[in-house]
Amino acid sequence: MEIVFDSSTLILLAKIELIRLVTEDYQVLIPDRVMQECVSKDIFDAQLISQLITEGAIKVLKADNKAVISKLCRDFKIHTGEAEALYLAMKRKTLLAVDDLPTIKACKIFNQRFTTAVHFLITIAQQGKLDKESAFVKLEKLAVYGRYSRRIIDDAYARLKGGS
Amino acid sequence: MSVISLRLKDRELKRLAELSKLTQKDKSMVARELMEYGWEFMMIRTYKEGKLSLSTLASRLDMSVSETIDLLSEFNIQSPIEYADYLKGFEGFK
Repeated sequence: MEIVFDSSTLILLAKIELIRLVTEDYQVLIPDRVMQECVSKDIFDAQLISQLITEGAIKVLKADNKAVISKLCRDFKIHTGEAEALYLAMKRKTLLAVDDLPTIKACKIFNQRFTTAVHFLITIAQQGKLDKESAFVKLEKLAVYGRYSRRIIDDAYARLKGGS
Repeated sequence: MSVISLRLKDRELKRLAELSKLTQKDKSMVARELMEYGWEFMMIRTYKEGKLSLSTLASRLDMSVSETIDLLSEFNIQSPIEYADYLKGFEGFK
């Protein structure tokens, strides 16, 4: 299954060190601009993403329709990287991984499927590819970096525990 | 650096003087720092209200997206993503 990623979700998954596992299960696609946003500084998550791009585990694509992308930026007050990711996901009719509210709102308007970093953690843990203890540790880190509401974190915790 | 003149209230002047004394910096520097903090605060607040995207926030703060995530985390700024959006996010994997 291929999934287009925005920098928000990609960086969050790199920060909690889940991104490599994600690339083993899904074909991770990012537009040019998202790559630039993710690898611009010499820090841990940037180095990890950069390495995965070098290995071919993350594929970088060109989002070529500048007119549509500019319109998405204007209409939804989103940045170029977010607009390119949204455009690519719509064009390829695939899931968009995004942890950004204005982009999620745009997804709803276009009936574009979306998901966030916490969903990858839950899905991978439920598939048994991550032990429970590690999943809880990663959820704690994701609560810090992803800054999800208490209700979302509590629900995610219950799902990891095996509640639903 | 450019020079501008602007009218300040007595209270604002008093605060500048107070902060200048406290930090042992001249008033111009203190005023510039306060503008930086004010800009940061306003941008973060706009993001928190869901009116600014994460990458736009990063761009407005002259930071990378990763550094912006760290800053939001440091200030404990809750993500504007709602519980309903979270539930909808599961549908993508079906």
